[in-house]
Amino acid sequence: MDRNTAIKVSNLTHTVTSNTGDLTILKGINMEIKESESVAIVGSSGSGKSTLLGLLAGLDVNTSGDIFLYDQEFSNQSEEERALARGQYVGFVFQSFHLLPSLQAIENVMLPAELKGDIDAREKAESLLEKVGLSHRLTHYPNQLSGGEQQRVAIARAFASNPKVLFADEPTGNLDEENGRLIIKLLFDLNQSQGTTLVMVTHDNELAKMCDRQLVMSAGQLTEKAL
Amino acid sequence: MSFAFRLMFRDIRSGDLLTLLLALVISVSTVTSIGLFIDRLQLSFEKESANLLAADRLIRSDDVIPAEWEKKASNLTLQTAQRTSFTTMMFADNSLQLSQLSAVTDGYPLRGAYLIDDMLFGTGQSSTATPNQGEVWVSSRLASLLNVSLGDQVEVGDLALTVTQFLVRDPGSSASAFAISPRAVMNMADLAATNVIIPGSRVRYSLLLAGDRASLDEYEDWITPQLNEGQRWRTPTQRGERIGDTIGRAESFLLLAGTLAVVMSGVAMALASSRFVKRHLMQVAILKTLGATPKLLGRLFFLQLFVLFVAGAVVGLGIGWGIQEIIASLLSGLMSTALPEPSIGRLWLGAATGLVSMVAFCLPLMSHLIKISPLSVLQPNAKIEFNSFAIYLIGFIGMFGLMCLYTNGFLLPSIMTAAILGIALLVASIGWFAFKLGRSLTSGATSGWQIGLASLYRRLVPNLFQLLVFTLIIMLTLILIGVRSNLIADWQQQLPEDAPNHYLFNVQANQIEPINAQTSELGVQASAWYPMVRGRVTEVNNETVQSLYPEERGEPELYERELNLTWSDTLGQGNELVAGDFSAQGLSVEQDAAKEAGLSLGDELTINIGGNLVTLPITSIRTVDWGSMQPNFYLILPKSALEDYPANFVSSLFVSDTEAQSFYRAMAQYPTVSILNVGDILKQIQAIIGQLSKAIQLVLFCILSAGALVLLASVRSTLEERLEEGALLRVLGARSALVRQALLVEFGALGFFSGLIAAIGAETCLFGLQVFVFNAEASFHPLLWILGPAIGVLVITTIGVFASRTVLKVPPMLLLRGL
Repeated sequence: MDRNTAIKVSNLTHTVTSNTGDLTILKGINMEIKESESVAIVGSSGSGKSTLLGLLAGLDVNTSGDIFLYDQEFSNQSEEERALARGQYVGFVFQSFHLLPSLQAIENVMLPAELKGDIDAREKAESLLEKVGLSHRLTHYPNQLSGGEQQRVAIARAFASNPKVLFADEPTGNLDEENGRLIIKLLFDLNQSQGTTLVMVTHDNELAKMCDRQLVMSAGQLTEKAL
Repeated sequence: MSFAFRLMFRDIRSGDLLTLLLALVISVSTVTSIGLFIDRLQLSFEKESANLLAADRLIRSDDVIPAEWEKKASNLTLQTAQRTSFTTMMFADNSLQLSQLSAVTDGYPLRGAYLIDDMLFGTGQSSTATPNQGEVWVSSRLASLLNVSLGDQVEVGDLALTVTQFLVRDPGSSASAFAISPRAVMNMADLAATNVIIPGSRVRYSLLLAGDRASLDEYEDWITPQLNEGQRWRTPTQRGERIGDTIGRAESFLLLAGTLAVVMSGVAMALASSRFVKRHLMQVAILKTLGATPKLLGRLFFLQLFVLFVAGAVVGLGIGWGIQEIIASLLSGLMSTALPEPSIGRLWLGAATGLVSMVAFCLPLMSHLIKISPLSVLQPNAKIEFNSFAIYLIGFIGMFGLMCLYTNGFLLPSIMTAAILGIALLVASIGWFAFKLGRSLTSGATSGWQIGLASLYRRLVPNLFQLLVFTLIIMLTLILIGVRSNLIADWQQQLPEDAPNHYLFNVQANQIEPINAQTSELGVQASAWYPMVRGRVTEVNNETVQSLYPEERGEPELYERELNLTWSDTLGQGNELVAGDFSAQGLSVEQDAAKEAGLSLGDELTINIGGNLVTLPITSIRTVDWGSMQPNFYLILPKSALEDYPANFVSSLFVSDTEAQSFYRAMAQYPTVSILNVGDILKQIQAIIGQLSKAIQLVLFCILSAGALVLLASVRSTLEERLEEGALLRVLGARSALVRQALLVEFGALGFFSGLIAAIGAETCLFGLQVFVFNAEASFHPLLWILGPAIGVLVITTIGVFASRTVLKVPPMLLLRGL
């Protein structure tokens, strides 16, 4: 694999079993993403974008084909190895934030560093929350925060492990326009300042246009959109 | 490691771990308190029964007890005492009387106490002393027959002894209750000087032992192989004895109650575990996304569960101990004796219940949780498929193992397991049908009724599961209520307050009339008089008993000794014909004795009566209620076979305490008549039964409280879904009354069906328990069929509506955001 390549996918197929029988969501996908690139995956609902993103982040196992994330080959790895790889390379921002409701904002952000055993997890989390403008909300619980604030906490958490690749699944999908803009700015600022690769699933054309590349998912197949 | 603790601390703060901890504490404390309390009751019964034996264990022998037997007991730090009992003539001035004399060593009785009085026919004060050397204590009856008072001298063989007390009760008397002569007790140190025991005398030697159970068991193992034909090892609760039987049944009940507590705890833990795991799905998925490996998560949760178990077990054991102390102190006012301290060793049960239910219910769910892909949880429309059958099967096996361990057998757990499986099937089929019917009747739902019924079918699987839990708890309650009332009614029937407490023996035909006249004047009614002739079975179907049992070993009781024979034209009270014709001119044999001797209708027995041989065929077999306190006989002959032999008569009668003195004085006119007073034993048995009944009601109350807690836990486990639905309904404009009505209907229907199915299950289980566990006759319980649905509707609706009250009060927005 090229030294500058962050992600490489070849012949990726993914099939799930449902009540009505087997359903192939991804059909022979090939792609490559370079380090520090920002890539948007666009497409209609149910086309398989989020599934692809989850597979790229090693959150599930594909049916066939290969996925490389730097030197990690997810397809052949055990859950144990994939989890280690996620901790080392991956940050993830979800559409519905997925903060732990029982933890305060700062504790949510501390989690990745704590998992790695960092002793300065709290300081790191404080500084990240400050960067996303939430230094006054450290001890608030998720249900005490607005949607935009929750997503900012989620972004701070995603960057807490200094990921090489940040995956974002419709990060503005649940937010109003103003909050959406704020989140996008944050994502791109952090992406640039930390040199992170950004892979984002979105319905938002404006947001997609801000990325270096756009990939279109349609009926389980991926094509490059000419800029 | 410190991360694990930090995470746990945060979980505790959020209340998620607390729910599981609470279930664990409830589980452990319920089982502990009931287990310990039952242990104390058992120890207390044993102690009460030990009072009847005057010891914890006793060896009865026809020969002198070897010195090394006592030495071995002392080596095991057991307390010992000896009693030598025999029948002898006692003399005073011009009177003489055959009496039952016991010589006892200092320290006798080891358990219980004498009742003695310095007034003739007094009611007595308790005393644990023994008569001093040179003294004798005589029963009031013996004193009046010998015409002696305190300070007078009586002669036993070559020795004169001074009467210093009137003996009201000898604590060991039940061991030889049917020695019918009036009693006296003297010091063992005087025995040799009397010279009454000569080779060939009929003497019963007893070695009494008391001490801790382990030493007694060790002693039993040592002594048993050395016992010969004429020697017996006796324990207080030996089966076959009336008291042993009563206690045996009470123990079965308590065992059942304890097992049910284990099952309820299991249900509570299963519910709490599944809630705990559901609440942790998201946490695990997010931690995995952030790079937590399955190994790390495994360690994390194992540590959490371990700490939780230790905390839950310690707190639960403490609370359990406290609760049983409270129960015991509440009960102490009702019981005549203080309860013995519980054995610390019994604490294992509570801890084991906690451990097994955590391992059985939590670990499989946890390990499944750790393995699932995070994406399947985090995607917006993710649906988690748990293989609940396999998971609950593990829990089920765990609970079954625990029940087996607890009851020390398979029978009770197997009956209960079969019942639970049957109930699950019944619940699934009835529930599915009823809920579906409810749904089809309510299409286009607009009223609270319709919404309530419709939601039963909409959440079919969780509702069926909840229906099963409700059914099980109500069923267990009904079973306990059924068993309790059966047992208590059975006991009360067995020994009514006015059960005969005296037997009159050796009554001549011409004495019957005057005795009847005198007793009826005193207001005492004698039962029927039975003639008694002694005889011994010598041949069976023309084969001699000696040839059938050449070594005189293992011969049935019917052939072993001389029997009391009687004749009667009618079946006596407590007798029931099971085969043949009682009026036929043949022998009527008691069923158990016939079974032991392998006899059936038509077999011929030859009986030696005063040197004459009488041969008769068996023409009827009957059962006898030995508890009826009426004179009962193994063999009843036709009148024609016995009428020519001199007979004396026997009868039983009830003499109240107030009538006792005049009754004894009246009977003193018939010195040849023997009176056997079993009143003291009866009173003790009745006292024990009274205590058992109270104890059982208290245990029932405890179990019901635990059941209510489990019901509450069960309602809470589906609360979130109901809250969400209620909040949505209110957002859509439904009035509180409509939501309340829907909740009432939903819980009411769940309660009604669970109560109904529970009644079916309880009736079936009671049948099994009565027939196979309590060895009693099966009966129908109409009350359960009313109680079941009533309890179901009332309790579940109350708990359900109470637990869901937030849905009616809190603004819907807050509810939806908080979910």
